Amino acid sequence: MQIRLFYPFIKKCAPFVVTAIIVLLLYKYYGAFKYTSDNLPEFFRLNYEHFFLVIVSMAAAGSVGVFLGIIMTRKGFERFGSAIMAMVNVWQSIPSLGVIALAYGFLPLIGFSGIGVVPALIALFFHAVAPIVRNTYAGVKDVSNDVIESATGMGMTPNQILFKIEIPNALPVIMGGIRTATAIIVGSAPLAFLIGGGGLGFWIFTGIALMDMGILIAGAVPVAIIAMLFDTLLAKLEKIIVSKGIQVKEYQTA
Amino acid sequence: MGIMLSLQEVTKIYPGAEHIKAVDSLSFDLEEGEICTLVGPSGCGKTTAMKMINRLIPITSGKILIDDQNINRMDTIELRRSIGYVIQNIGLFPNMTIAENIATIPKLKGWDHDRIAEKVESLLEIVNLPAEEFMGRYPRELSGGQQQRIGVARGMAADPPIMLMDEPFGAIDPINREHLQDEFLKIQAKVKKTIVFVTHDIDEAIKMGDKICLLKDGKLVQFASPEELLTEPANGFVRDFVGGDRTLKRLNLLTIKTAMNPDPPVIMQNELPEKAKSMLSELKLDHLIVVDNEKRLIGYVDQEALTKKADEVGDIAQSTEAFLPASSSLKDGLSEIFTYELGYLIVVDEDKKVLGTLREEGIKNILRR
Repeated sequence: MQIRLFYPFIKKCAPFVVTAIIVLLLYKYYGAFKYTSDNLPEFFRLNYEHFFLVIVSMAAAGSVGVFLGIIMTRKGFERFGSAIMAMVNVWQSIPSLGVIALAYGFLPLIGFSGIGVVPALIALFFHAVAPIVRNTYAGVKDVSNDVIESATGMGMTPNQILFKIEIPNALPVIMGGIRTATAIIVGSAPLAFLIGGGGLGFWIFTGIALMDMGILIAGAVPVAIIAMLFDTLLAKLEKIIVSKGIQVKEYQTA
Repeated sequence: MGIMLSLQEVTKIYPGAEHIKAVDSLSFDLEEGEICTLVGPSGCGKTTAMKMINRLIPITSGKILIDDQNINRMDTIELRRSIGYVIQNIGLFPNMTIAENIATIPKLKGWDHDRIAEKVESLLEIVNLPAEEFMGRYPRELSGGQQQRIGVARGMAADPPIMLMDEPFGAIDPINREHLQDEFLKIQAKVKKTIVFVTHDIDEAIKMGDKICLLKDGKLVQFASPEELLTEPANGFVRDFVGGDRTLKRLNLLTIKTAMNPDPPVIMQNELPEKAKSMLSELKLDHLIVVDNEKRLIGYVDQEALTKKADEVGDIAQSTEAFLPASSSLKDGLSEIFTYELGYLIVVDEDKKVLGTLREEGIKNILRR
């Protein structure tokens, strides 16, 4: 009987506990603990670089994506909509490795270095912006016509309608796009190492090259944990900023 | 009461359909506190006509005056904030609570916090939803009927003198619709707004309207009170649209009071049965209404009842359900006449005091007039 009381708590914690056990077993089995503790300063530096790549490209993709998505719904800009959409869709359809390679090959042609953090950021940005644009556009467009008509008829200005009605009601869909984009960025970020962008990809690719599972795990597990961390944080953020009137009831965080 | 809303030769031609006048030189005046129902078959231009009043649709030619001011010379946003707007699908803002929905325009108008809170509470009271219970809830947690009431409350939030309502009860099931209509008429009796009410349902138009504006192909066919529309339809189209049962529809508009025979013979409950007998034969009646000393209805006696032995008429009086207050509709009255064995209806006031009787002849006479 007592167990029942704790059931919701157990349900919430179970994924974390299971993940933690798997991680610990992997670390122990392949000796990743030792490699990490022997290279602690490098561990922190790589984590920092990784976070930097993810957060900066995320912020850029988020702000540009939401902006473009909203512009496409404004009166007079509809005709740009399909062009913008086609462009971002093409960007997203190129595999991550391809985008990185293109950045490496293309940027020198227009006078920039193809190596380093900036090309990596640009590549991640282009790869992640599509779902945000697409979801923002769809979310704002999907706000019911009746709602917009009554807001207009009541005497709200187009800007008031955008900020008080359209964006708040599109937020769950916009946030969905941002979470998808984050997953793409976190997943692609290790590739940044290939063009000198740094990050945890260094250990992963070193581990592969040396066929050393210890180094590989020491790089891959933090990447997975960062992915989970961002998704959980975004889910929490969503719960805070999305109105209770439109939140999905059976909503489950990571 | 002055003219609140005036449409003068208002015409709408949509771009791309130049040969069709969606609304064709429509003119009518509406006095303060009146409900005007715009009614007609679909595509007759009623919604277009309404939406030109708050400039959701621009006027092609002609002018609309609100309180003698041309709406085209007013700021669009200001104009719309001074007109309440309620549509069929309500369009409550799902991201806002009920209180926030109602407070939207007062907030944009810069009312202070206390005044807004007071207004929200009083409006919820007017639409019969307890404020404490509903203020913090979200639209999706309410039933369709409740949402519609919030829509009406939101439309009235900034105290607009004029309200536009586009089939506001169209999406509600028939039972609740009738209930909401009655409730809305009660609210209107209190707030006295000038209302333009679009509907495709002639019965609703007759019930809700002080004036009915019947449109066909963008043209005004008849602008009249419901009674006039039913008794003097302007042409065959109106007659058809109103329906073959237009005489019966008038039963809904008229009250029992208009058709009753006042002051029927009655007998006090403490009189002797002999007096009742003599009154029945003298007046050649089948029944005699029995009342108490306040003239309140007790029941009736007939010859058969009077054969029983009793000291007072009250002891042998048969109670009856065949009575209605004078403010009820003739439709209800007629139905009651046919329901009960008495053959006629006793008309009473709120205290059940006998005012008169309603008989079939009385109804016939008033409908023929």
